[in-house]
Amino acid sequence: MLAYSLKKLLQLVVTTIGVVTLVFFAMRLIPGDAAAAMAGDTLSGAALERLRDQMGLNDPLIVQFWTFVRSLLVLDLGRTLTTNLPVSDLIMSAAPITLLIAIATIILAIAIAIPLGTMAAFMAHKGHKTLDNMITGLAMIIDLMPSFWTALVFLLIFSLTLGWFPASGPISWDDPYTIVMRLALPILVLSLSQVAILARMTRTAVLEVLSEDYVRTARAMGWSELRVLFRHALKNAALPIVTVVGLSFGNLLNGTIIVEAIFTIPGVGTVLINGINSRDYQLVQVLMIFYAMLFVFINFATDILYRALDPRVKF
Amino acid sequence: MSNSFITQPARVHAIWMSRRRVLDKLRQNRFLMNSKTIGAFLILVPIALLVTLAPLLPLQAPLETNLMAMMLPPSLEHPFGTDRMGRDIFSRSLEGVKVSLQVGLSVAALALVMGMLLGTLAGFFGGIIDRAVMVIVDIFMAFPSLLLAIGLIAIMGTGLVPVVMAIAIADIPRFIRLQRSLVLGLRTRAYIDAARTVQASQFWLMTRHIVPNSLAPMLVAASISAANAILVEASLSFLGLGIMPPAPSLGNLIREGQLYMEQAWWISTLPGVVILLIAISFHFLSDGIRQALDPRSRK
Repeated sequence: MLAYSLKKLLQLVVTTIGVVTLVFFAMRLIPGDAAAAMAGDTLSGAALERLRDQMGLNDPLIVQFWTFVRSLLVLDLGRTLTTNLPVSDLIMSAAPITLLIAIATIILAIAIAIPLGTMAAFMAHKGHKTLDNMITGLAMIIDLMPSFWTALVFLLIFSLTLGWFPASGPISWDDPYTIVMRLALPILVLSLSQVAILARMTRTAVLEVLSEDYVRTARAMGWSELRVLFRHALKNAALPIVTVVGLSFGNLLNGTIIVEAIFTIPGVGTVLINGINSRDYQLVQVLMIFYAMLFVFINFATDILYRALDPRVKF
Repeated sequence: MSNSFITQPARVHAIWMSRRRVLDKLRQNRFLMNSKTIGAFLILVPIALLVTLAPLLPLQAPLETNLMAMMLPPSLEHPFGTDRMGRDIFSRSLEGVKVSLQVGLSVAALALVMGMLLGTLAGFFGGIIDRAVMVIVDIFMAFPSLLLAIGLIAIMGTGLVPVVMAIAIADIPRFIRLQRSLVLGLRTRAYIDAARTVQASQFWLMTRHIVPNSLAPMLVAASISAANAILVEASLSFLGLGIMPPAPSLGNLIREGQLYMEQAWWISTLPGVVILLIAISFHFLSDGIRQALDPRSRK
């Protein structure tokens, strides 16, 4: 287990170095350079040259790269272009909201998807095709609904028509009520597609286990169906579920960018879109790295968890 | 005409038989005679017809404004209603579908070709080539796909070509990985060894054995990738980072309608239904291909 963890950790480090390098050099590919793109038509000649100096764009590439890596290591990420706030403060205030949305979505999705998928599998196993087909068909449609469209429809129904949730307004950590009310819809929207993916996966996993010999043996011993389901089927279905949660975490992060834009939530996604629109490339590159690191770390954690959960894997 | 029936019975019989053979072939075609494929075509063909015939239909041009007909709800004249500037949402949606299909098909084609090329090289030769390709693949796959596309758009700018490039670059690593794993499975097969013993060249092995045998699963992936690309393009355009107005795309139509959700629900919701239909049909298509090629699902 330790050897495996270390190997994965090494991979994590290599990927991190790769991500930082890729982002740094990709940002040098901007037509013209970051300073010219940032300034647009407002600066020219000497002023533009001064901005270049200020941003360090006139240093040798290797020096720039080192400055960039060092700033990431000591978390001194400079200030934003438009509001002149420290970038690290900006991320520190936005990240908890995005993380809260992501974690709440995963919990909600698991709570809905596992009973649903198990039910579908159970029905399919018993030969009741209709309910199973209904659940799997619905899961596919929900999975393919563009999340920004679902979000808008939810906004239309639950905020604008029914007035249950506010469509905009401040989010403050001192007032949990505002957090719940403002984040409820985005979490609901995001969990829909996660439920669809997870429910399908649970169905496949449970269905497979239900036709195993040891399940037949348990039945032959006179166990009730529910006991069979809980003692054998769900336990064995846990592994693929862990994998899917890890794999769909990338989708979830994509989704947070979109729902933050629609529900005007001040998360990392909103900061990113604002950064791109104001051509603040130094902010954008830091955020790209932030998202990638989060994603890579979750994948690392799922890999380890998977190994830890499966007693059959020998080291 | 009736004369020929009497004078040439043999020929008539031959024609009849050949026709039956064609019908039998069709009936045996596991791709076309598949409920999923038929479902996909039932959605895609009418949509494609509408898109191509749009200039001939009695519809307002996609960019034409009409200040006398602003924010009209759906009616016979304007099936999807009109927007703030009196533009017809239906004809704008058809124009948007054109963009969606262009994006979906180009991304799928790009990803398929690049994935096949790099995946085959990595899997077949192994060693240093494999290592190098897979390290790069891992780095690209460290980014959530939409985020990578957003980052690339930030570098390349907005518009149709950058959008296609950005989505394709975000998708290619997945194809490389799939192709590589397929090649690794094929590499040790007996028929490859057989070809080697008769001194088939590496190039011959790859083009005549490896690529044809890995094409089927790659096509399934390409079909899913097309659906996915359509959704990502819509998301990018929705965020204002894809196809820019006034050129319509389904994503930026929804973006424009967002401000008027309360007064005019149709501007955003109906183009969304169109995206959903297209995405579902491409998924049906991939199921159709999969079922046709999977020997285990033979009836």
